[in-house]
Amino acid sequence: MKKTAAYDQKRRPIKKILNSLLPFVSITCLFLLWFYASNINPDLVPSPASTWERLIQLFVKPVNKMNLFGHVWASLQRVFIALACATVLGVTVGVMIGWSKTFKAIFGTLFELIRPIPPIAWLPIIIMWFGIGEFPKILIVFIGTFMPIVVNTYTGIRLVMPLHLDVARMFNASNRQLLFEVAIPSALPPIFAGIRNATSSGWMTVLAAEMIASKAGLGFLITRGMDYFDVPLILVGMLAIGIVGALLAIITEFIERLLCPWNKKLEQD
Amino acid sequence: MSMEQKAGTRLIVKDVSKTFYQKKIEPHHVVDKVSLEVKDNEFLVLLGPGHCGKTVLLNIVSGLMPPDEGSVYLDGEKITKPNPKIGMVFQKLGLMPWKTVIENVEIGPKLSGINVKTRRERAEYFIDLVGLKGFENSYPHQLSGGMKQRVGIARAYTNDPEILIMDEPFGQLDAQTRYNMQNEISRISEHEKRTIIFVTNNIEEALYLGDRIILFTECPARVKEIYDIDLKRPRDMIDPEFLRLRKMISNNTDLAL
Repeated sequence: MKKTAAYDQKRRPIKKILNSLLPFVSITCLFLLWFYASNINPDLVPSPASTWERLIQLFVKPVNKMNLFGHVWASLQRVFIALACATVLGVTVGVMIGWSKTFKAIFGTLFELIRPIPPIAWLPIIIMWFGIGEFPKILIVFIGTFMPIVVNTYTGIRLVMPLHLDVARMFNASNRQLLFEVAIPSALPPIFAGIRNATSSGWMTVLAAEMIASKAGLGFLITRGMDYFDVPLILVGMLAIGIVGALLAIITEFIERLLCPWNKKLEQD
Repeated sequence: MSMEQKAGTRLIVKDVSKTFYQKKIEPHHVVDKVSLEVKDNEFLVLLGPGHCGKTVLLNIVSGLMPPDEGSVYLDGEKITKPNPKIGMVFQKLGLMPWKTVIENVEIGPKLSGINVKTRRERAEYFIDLVGLKGFENSYPHQLSGGMKQRVGIARAYTNDPEILIMDEPFGQLDAQTRYNMQNEISRISEHEKRTIIFVTNNIEEALYLGDRIILFTECPARVKEIYDIDLKRPRDMIDPEFLRLRKMISNNTDLAL
C-alpha cells in the first residue's frame, strides 16, 4: 500500500503518545533488570527495596552528622563557588584571547597545552600543595569548570559575524563599543553553552575530588559505602548524583532561555 | 586632500579600482576605474548584472574598504573611514539577533552617545514610518523577510544620514513582497528626502525608483551608460514610456553568468 501524507498525519498522534510513554517503559525495564540482578546476588546488587531502606536510614542515622541533603548541599556548594569564580575569570580570559591578538599570542598556546590535562590529573599535585581541606577541592572543580568556559567564550568571540561589526563600524563605533555592543552580546549563547558544560563537568569533578579525601559530599558518601561494604549506600549516592546532575542541567538551560531569549536553537528544542 | 566640485554635487567617485588577490587563484578584478557623481537629494540607482563589484564599490564609498586606486570625496573631503553622514542598508541586513526591533533601530544614535529618550523617540518615528508599529519589542527572528528589511531601513534613517546607501535591499525577498517594498521605499524617500544610492540588478526596480540610473558592465564593474529618468511619480510599470526605457536598458545590459 502506498503511504500518503494524510496516512502519516492520521498515525502521528498515536506515535506521539507512544513516544511520550517510552521513557517510562525504559525506566521500568531498568528496574526489572535491577530486581532480577538483586535476586542473583543480593550482597553485590542490593534490591531496590533495601536501597530505599538505606536512604530512609540515612535520614534517621546520618553519616558524619549529615543526612543525604547535607551531603548533596556540601557537594553543590563546592561546585557553585568554583563555578562562580570560573565564570568571572573564564569569561574575562576568553574575551581577552578572543578579542586581542596580543593576548592570544601570549596565552593561546599556553592554554592549549594546559587544557588537555583533565581536572582529575591535577588532584595529586594539588593535594600535595594544598592538603585536603576545602580550598584544594574547590580549586580542582575550578580547573574543571574554567576550561570549558574559556574555550566557549573564546570561540564565541571569534565567531562574531563580520557583518555585525561592519554595521557598527558604519555607525562610527569605537573599538570598545565593538567589543561591548557587538562581540560580547553575540557571544552570549556560546558563553552560556560553556557555562552549561562547565556545570556538568564541575559536578563530575567535585565527586572525584571528594572520593579522594573528604568528610562530606556525595563523593565521600559512595567512598564510605565502599570502605564499609555498604553497597546500598553506594547506590543511594549514585542515584543522588544522577538526579542532582539532571536537575542542574535543567536549571542551567532554564536560566539560559531566560537570559538569551533570542536564541532560536533553544526555542526549537 | 579636497577637490573642486560643481554646485549640487554631494559625492564624487573618481577612478576607483579594486582587485582581490588570493593565493593559488587568478587575481579577481572587480571594480575598474569607476567615476561617478551623486547629486544632492537625488535617488541614484546603480544597476548592474550579476554579483560583481557593486557591493565592493559601495563598501569603498562608505569607507569600510580602501580602494586600490582612485578616491571618493564627500562634500570635497576624501573618505578614508566610515562617516556618520553616510548611512547604509546592507544587502544581508546584519540585524543583531540579540537586540529587539527598537534596539536594532536605535543603535546608530546609541553608539554616538545620544541619550535614551531622544534616540527612542527618533527610533519610534522611523519604526512608525516603515510600518512596524507594534513590533518594537519583537526579535528579528520573529519577523518575516520584508519586515526585517524594514528594520534595516529604519535603522539607517534613525542615524540621520545625509546620504543613504542601499545595497540590493530587496534581493532576497519574494516577488510580491519586493513590489510592496519598492512602493514603500518610494513613499519613505518622498517623505524623508535624502540623497539615496540604491543598488539593484533588477531593471524594473531601477526604473521604478531612480531619478538617475547608472548602468554597469559585468565583471569588472565599469560605468557603461547613464540614464536620466524623467517619468512622473508614482511610476507606472506598464506605462508605454516605462516599458520603452525598460527595453532600451535591457538591450544594453550584459548577460550575467
